[in-house]
Amino acid sequence: MKAPIQTDKLSKWYGNILGLSEVSLEVRPGITGLLGPNGAGKSTLMKILTGQLRPSLGRAFIWGEKIWNNFRLFNRIGYCPEHDSFYEQTTGWQFLTGLLRLFPFSSAEAAGRAERALATVELLPDKDRLIRGYSRGMRQRLKVAQALAHDPDLLILDEPLNGLDPLGKRRIIRLIKDLKNDNKTVLLSSHVLPEVEALTKDIILIHQGKILASGDIHELRDLIDSHPHIIALRCDRPRELAARLVREPFILKVHLGGQPDSLIVETDNRDRFFSLLPELVMDMGLAVDEITSPDDNLQAVFDYLVGK
Amino acid sequence: MSATGRVFTFFFQLGQKAKRTKFFFILSLLPVLLGAFLRLQQALTLSRRNMTGLFFYSNVVLPFYVQFLLLMLALFYGTSIVLEEVEGRTLPYLAARPLPRTSIILGKYGSSAALALAMIDVGLVASFLVLNAEQLGDLSLDLVLLRDMTVLDLGLLCYLALFAFLGALLKRAVLFGLLFCFGWENVLIYFPGLTQKLAIAHYLKSLIPQPPSSGFAFLRFNLEPSPPLTAVLVLIILTAVFLAAACLTFSLKEYLFEN
Repeated sequence: MKAPIQTDKLSKWYGNILGLSEVSLEVRPGITGLLGPNGAGKSTLMKILTGQLRPSLGRAFIWGEKIWNNFRLFNRIGYCPEHDSFYEQTTGWQFLTGLLRLFPFSSAEAAGRAERALATVELLPDKDRLIRGYSRGMRQRLKVAQALAHDPDLLILDEPLNGLDPLGKRRIIRLIKDLKNDNKTVLLSSHVLPEVEALTKDIILIHQGKILASGDIHELRDLIDSHPHIIALRCDRPRELAARLVREPFILKVHLGGQPDSLIVETDNRDRFFSLLPELVMDMGLAVDEITSPDDNLQAVFDYLVGK
Repeated sequence: MSATGRVFTFFFQLGQKAKRTKFFFILSLLPVLLGAFLRLQQALTLSRRNMTGLFFYSNVVLPFYVQFLLLMLALFYGTSIVLEEVEGRTLPYLAARPLPRTSIILGKYGSSAALALAMIDVGLVASFLVLNAEQLGDLSLDLVLLRDMTVLDLGLLCYLALFAFLGALLKRAVLFGLLFCFGWENVLIYFPGLTQKLAIAHYLKSLIPQPPSSGFAFLRFNLEPSPPLTAVLVLIILTAVFLAAACLTFSLKEYLFEN
């Protein structure tokens, strides 16, 4: 079966700035996460896929058709843009029914679809409030609702979990997972690894406009796990803990931090470290105030993967 | 309903709620207030000097609409057809709908035109009625009103199409539009011969009889009018050309949002 989204050596320049470089990929039905740090080219790729930008070089297809100025494709595509922008003078209901009428749906059909979409994102009680009075999370959910309301076969969601509180994120994650069960194709972008992990195992890694890797997220996890991790701790006896930790083969470095109660550990096996730590805490009777992982972000992972 | 009709309906409803619409609606009624004030003054002072209702209408109200309000409405509504979507970053909602780009421009142009025409026509008719209340049955006066309304409507549609094109083409379309309105259009009509025909205002003024000028005046406006039919045809052709250019530009151009 042909992949719904296909690109072939897709490149995009903004003047002298490279947005995408020879991106060739296929996105198959199910959920695919487009993962990359800010400025990696995720939004550029999504804008090309939604006909907002033209490729400088290469080709992009949806269901085998070119995208630019091919408006009929959008009967079957739902797009959630990254920007927090709306027709602010409208209510959530007017915004959604107005956009649905553009498809075209009859007034009654648009109302029915809008009601279902608002109920899905749990905004129905607030449908008659002006959008300018919505919280950030409500606005994000409304963006998702407008992408879903016409029941598209392909969803392109640009940072759909951005700005949501943990509960809101869970709602949207559940919603997107349900779409997979409906045999839809979902391409979503994020710069937060755990968010994508919660949604799918199929990922595309993008960095500086290039596809670094694509496939199963567990392979990425393996790469990440071999990446030396820095973990910062604050406890009552950091020197004793440091002395105990240096005996372990998977601890690469230990040094005392700037504060009298802080300790910084570098390990090449995060899982083993985190399984050992509770034992040590119990055995030594330590009082641990804080554990943070300053480099546990996507940028650090990408820097490691590209050999910076 | 056609795609253009759907876009028109959506944006006509949005436009009615916009602050800009309320502001311009009030501005368009300013001559009505002035007319009412004049009538009140006349009634109180029993003044019957030169300032008849028709004189005030022809020399104050009509120039206000032709030389100021018409241009302002066309400039702000026309440029916003594309620019408000780009600056407000709402363009993706339209781009990701099954709408030809031409329909987006034509639908938005239609909704802007409907709102602006309503403002101009309501204001013009109301001020005319206030100023000429005693002569309402006079058919020749009714024809004057009808002619002026038609000229204003033609002018509005033409300027609106021009500014829709500028808005689709340029980021700073409002600035260029202001220079055009109060530079090009106002300066060129003082030029003799063919040069004044390069201004849209020339064709509008060709359709409205000018009061005879008397005595010495610096920068006297010497209109060398085009025949009425030519003026109407030129306005219609310009409107079509600017609209086609706006549609073409919007179909070909990529719009990037500033971060």
